[in-house]
Amino acid sequence: MSKSRLTEELEHRGISRREFIVFCAAMAAVLGLPEEATPAIAAAVETEEKPILIWLEFQDCAGNTESLLRAGHPTVADLILDSISLSYHETLMAAAGSQAEDVLAKTVREHKGKYIALVEGSIPTGADGGYCTIGGRAALDIAREICGNAAATIAVGTCAAFGGIPAARPNPTGALSVADAVPGVRNLINMSACPANAENITALIVYYMTLKRWPPLDQYRRPMFAYGKTIHDNCERRAHFDAGQYVEAWGDEAHRQGHCLYKMGCKGPATSQNCPVVRWNEGTNWPIGCGHPCVGCAEPNFWDTMSPFYERLPNVAGFNVGSWIDPVGLGLTGLVAAAAALHGVGEIVRHRVGLGPVSEDGSET
Amino acid sequence: MSTLSHSGDRDGGLERIYVWELPVRLSHWLIAVSIVVLSVTGYYIGHPFINVPGAARDHFVMGTVRAVHLYAAWIFTAALIVRIYWWFAGNAYARWTDFIPVSARRFRSLWNSMLFYSFIRRDPDDYPGHNALAAGSYAMIFAVYVLLIVTGLVLHASEVPPGSPFHVFGALAPWFFGLPMARLIHHVAMWVVLIFVVVHLHFVLLASLIERVGTFESIFSGYKFFPRKKPR
Repeated sequence: MSKSRLTEELEHRGISRREFIVFCAAMAAVLGLPEEATPAIAAAVETEEKPILIWLEFQDCAGNTESLLRAGHPTVADLILDSISLSYHETLMAAAGSQAEDVLAKTVREHKGKYIALVEGSIPTGADGGYCTIGGRAALDIAREICGNAAATIAVGTCAAFGGIPAARPNPTGALSVADAVPGVRNLINMSACPANAENITALIVYYMTLKRWPPLDQYRRPMFAYGKTIHDNCERRAHFDAGQYVEAWGDEAHRQGHCLYKMGCKGPATSQNCPVVRWNEGTNWPIGCGHPCVGCAEPNFWDTMSPFYERLPNVAGFNVGSWIDPVGLGLTGLVAAAAALHGVGEIVRHRVGLGPVSEDGSET
Repeated sequence: MSTLSHSGDRDGGLERIYVWELPVRLSHWLIAVSIVVLSVTGYYIGHPFINVPGAARDHFVMGTVRAVHLYAAWIFTAALIVRIYWWFAGNAYARWTDFIPVSARRFRSLWNSMLFYSFIRRDPDDYPGHNALAAGSYAMIFAVYVLLIVTGLVLHASEVPPGSPFHVFGALAPWFFGLPMARLIHHVAMWVVLIFVVVHLHFVLLASLIERVGTFESIFSGYKFFPRKKPR
């Protein structure tokens, strides 16, 4: 068998076979596959034709690109995502201006219906699309063309998946998710989180290369392998939650002991992601691991629905009850009890002062 | 059963009327007890006021409280299903037509009860079942129960293991603007129910004291007592 392009690239970059297999095993772990899947993944990644990737960046902070650049196994992942497959990535590519746009047009022309579009950022629809244009074209227009002709579209990060921070109230630019801006695109997969975890993006591509199909999705079109369980269910602090050990204030003894951040507004129970397992920065740590509550960044409209981030209950816009509903409820219950007592006294007094009970035939006495 | 005396027994004695059938009484008490258990455990889940010292492996306070909350929630749900079934299968006093005022007679009862409770009308509604004002408030509180059950199921869906049939309720999360808002609605609804409980107890005790037909005892025995003279 002749050497595949990937094998050549690996040798060229001085990446050992061992490192490559470690990468494949890590991918199997992220996907929840058994160890025996590693050779199949290695074979697929080595020999299969690599998917053509087009990365579009719209209204966002480039955080997902940053996340991608810091993939856990950067050398191998780089090869798969960047050197081998990534045909167009406006932020990363060396080419610029019309040269870059020519590459995009050529890729779409030559691989129509076969390439995979990765979209980062929300798509603004206000001001006739004027809030985000590339080469004079509105983001919506570009997304319609590129996603419309793709074999699959991966919405990378919460902005692309659900609108994210640009679409948070009051959404001044009319920002939409890919699903809402370009309805009906083929094989849309949402890789939410702010930013999306590069391990999961790489694993998704590797899954497709190995099994020739897309993974099962949840109700928000997110892959089950990465979004099938809540943060809370896999949290390393879960034992403290169940025991009843909670951080009450920043830096208190419980905080120093690594107890549960539930009372500090942790949104782990409401958020589905594999952060506790995959973690970030080569598995170094993750938000809850370093003592910060989850803010629910992988969930739809998280900026509106999960805030305030350090309170357990949300605030209702313009009505500010949220976190103090329970004292208010207790007070109201007390007030009603007092009113009931007063009413009871009134009834008894009426009864005692001789107005008497109802007459036997029910008429007024 | 009743030890209460009534002015009616001077003449023709008392007539015993079977008002609350067994499913009504049983579901009432299951709902009542589960509301108490759910409120206490629910308050702890919302505000874990016990901070447990020592090693996590030695304790399971929140875990236990949540388990009790969950079991009580199933009992509550089952009892409400029985009660709503009895809206269609029960006697006249248990049926939905006695809860949602659709007839002119029930509208009159609604108006008279309002006048009675605001000290304007002297004699209470003399219907053996619920007066229309009370029944209407029960219909509304049933709606709040359904809201509690649905928001509870939406929150539960996020924590059941993969493959559980309860995952389907997760699809309703957007109805409540996400899980945190579903949680807030769950809290608000609890307070609405607790306020209802206070009002309910007040009027039951008041009715027992003033009307003297055995209202309070009737939820144990099923019977109320009315003067025989009066045809019903």
